[in-house]
Amino acid sequence: MINTILIFPIIACILILLIKNKKFDMFMINTYAVVHFVATIMLAINKNCGTRYFAVDNTNLIFLIVLSFIFLMTVIYNNGYVKTFNYNNYSDSRIRNYTLMILIFVLSMTGTILSVDLGISWVFIEATTLSSAYLIYFNKTKHSIEAAWKYVFICSIGISLAFVGIILLNISTGNINSLNFSELYANAGSFNHSWLKLSFVFMLFGFGAKMGLAPVHFWLPDAHSEAPSPISALLSATLLNSAFLVIVRIFKIMTLAGCTNYARIMLLVMGFLSLFVTAVFVYHIKNYKRMLAYSSIENMGILTIGTALGGVAYYAVILHLIGHSLAKSSFFLTSGNVLELFESKRVKSVNGLMSADKKTGWLWNLSFLAICAFPTSVLFVSEFLMIKTMILQKHYVLCVLFVLLLTIILYGLAKVVLKMSYGKLSNDKKQEVLENKKKITFTMYVPQFIMLIFVFTLGFYVPDFLNNIINTVFTGF
Amino acid sequence: MVNAFIILFGLTMLYISTTSRIISHIRLLIIQGVLLFLICCSGMKDMSILNIAFLVVETLIVKSIVIPAFLYKVSKKTHSDRDAAANIPHFYCLVVSTVILLVCMLLSQYYVSSIKLISHLFFGVSVATIIISLWLITIKHKIISNVIEFITMENGIFLLSLSVAKEMPILVNLGVLLDVFIAVYILGLFVNEINNEFQDLEVSNLSEYND
Repeated sequence: MINTILIFPIIACILILLIKNKKFDMFMINTYAVVHFVATIMLAINKNCGTRYFAVDNTNLIFLIVLSFIFLMTVIYNNGYVKTFNYNNYSDSRIRNYTLMILIFVLSMTGTILSVDLGISWVFIEATTLSSAYLIYFNKTKHSIEAAWKYVFICSIGISLAFVGIILLNISTGNINSLNFSELYANAGSFNHSWLKLSFVFMLFGFGAKMGLAPVHFWLPDAHSEAPSPISALLSATLLNSAFLVIVRIFKIMTLAGCTNYARIMLLVMGFLSLFVTAVFVYHIKNYKRMLAYSSIENMGILTIGTALGGVAYYAVILHLIGHSLAKSSFFLTSGNVLELFESKRVKSVNGLMSADKKTGWLWNLSFLAICAFPTSVLFVSEFLMIKTMILQKHYVLCVLFVLLLTIILYGLAKVVLKMSYGKLSNDKKQEVLENKKKITFTMYVPQFIMLIFVFTLGFYVPDFLNNIINTVFTGF
Repeated sequence: MVNAFIILFGLTMLYISTTSRIISHIRLLIIQGVLLFLICCSGMKDMSILNIAFLVVETLIVKSIVIPAFLYKVSKKTHSDRDAAANIPHFYCLVVSTVILLVCMLLSQYYVSSIKLISHLFFGVSVATIIISLWLITIKHKIISNVIEFITMENGIFLLSLSVAKEMPILVNLGVLLDVFIAVYILGLFVNEINNEFQDLEVSNLSEYND
């Protein structure tokens, strides 16, 4: 099954390049989404089919399920989205490259998640930059060049620093010549603490850059806002998770080596810094896609804080990861509809969304309620559990700061969402919007509704099989 | 002999920090590539043939020929002769770079030499190279200069990986991917595209997008 997930996109890419047919391109990407999803379910049922470098273990299974489901939903949306392309501006080869790069992008994220070797994880993280940079640059505007340049340059430096961290980790391991996680876990007790701590700093900053943690987050708002909406959804809901998985695994090495407190302090600092940065920038945000990007930084910060807290917060982290991925991809996909209707990313250019297109308006508002942890959103449960953990651990100052920053962010988001949803449209604008509405097909509404149903259901009911998977993830922290 | 090559490698960083001519930077990249090859040669006795082949391709072909040739082509095409408007004068750049190199070498001499796995001279020079490159990235104005400093940083990381290469050669091989990645993306695609879209290759052109 693992081989199927990893080899299928390579064969699909070769076939796409050979056949050169638009319908075939769409067929292959849809097939891969289905194959990926089915293979993931099979892997969840039977985990014992790993290879030397790739395997499904207790830690990465939930990340794989989330990736697979989001990819499937995004591909359904993408079927309608590609029809909105203006074929006069986009050559056939450009659209073919778009499909190819999505396949390679998902392949590299899957590789990162399934990898049980730090070196291989690093290689695949690097591959995600390679493929997604083209997707960010897809529109070929001045802003998309700027966004793609920042993305490639900052992430490349980040990845290089992560490589320095891996070298330093290698020094700390002494005579152990392996980067396999299970071997690293088994021998972590004998690692040199000074070198290990130094390597953790480099790896946290390196992989943290990819995860979008402040202060190395600068690429994220630009890249997420400039990429086509399905790509923004994949970037936010799956790429950031992949980098987070690597950080979780490194954190476990630190825990087993007896450097937990040091690692926790580092994670807490970066987590709260991410919340602070979001609170500052989201307050006066002018571009709604950038607002969603900042919200991703915030949620990555929350995941990091949860990881640092430990205990029950680990359960909250996994719930939050699932909830954020579903809600944020729904939000980003809906932003694609808004962009299609109003042809602008500026907040002040969009109003009366509810009257312009009721379905998009509802999706926009429900996605907002899901992401701001309104009950019964699963994010409510996760954030509540994190606050509870802070109180139980007597981190009262952190708890107040956490709630305060979340409130500011909530206010910033609510201000924009409400401004865009309500108000009156001028007659000219209404005509223009109604004309654009014809381009939005059925498949551009359905995935968001499905994902939102999951988000609001998981808040009060977690099925047994999912609960079991989440409970086993604990061993990975 | 290998120590002489490493010291020469460190000195190339001092020269890079004092010159604004892009062509000189490219020439220094070639010299760094050759020096890395010579440094690799000293440790080849313990390596497998596959690893040796990998390192030769990496240092002699990719670092000394492909990337500099690519950069030369880009600098000609974009008429980028020099990065004259750096934020800090060259003399101060030289002083700061020298201090970084000296401090890193002294620290590695006193603190790192006790660990048998790594060579302290390798370690000191490579860390200094990484820090100097990162610092130069922040003070240079031209995009092509930023790319060159990024490659020198990557050379520093390569040197660092060589300091533990005898223990785990796979790390060196992984470094090769980073080079190819830079060559394909940063140089090929973006520098040319940025040049097509903007009048000059100034970093300031790429800071319009903000909140």
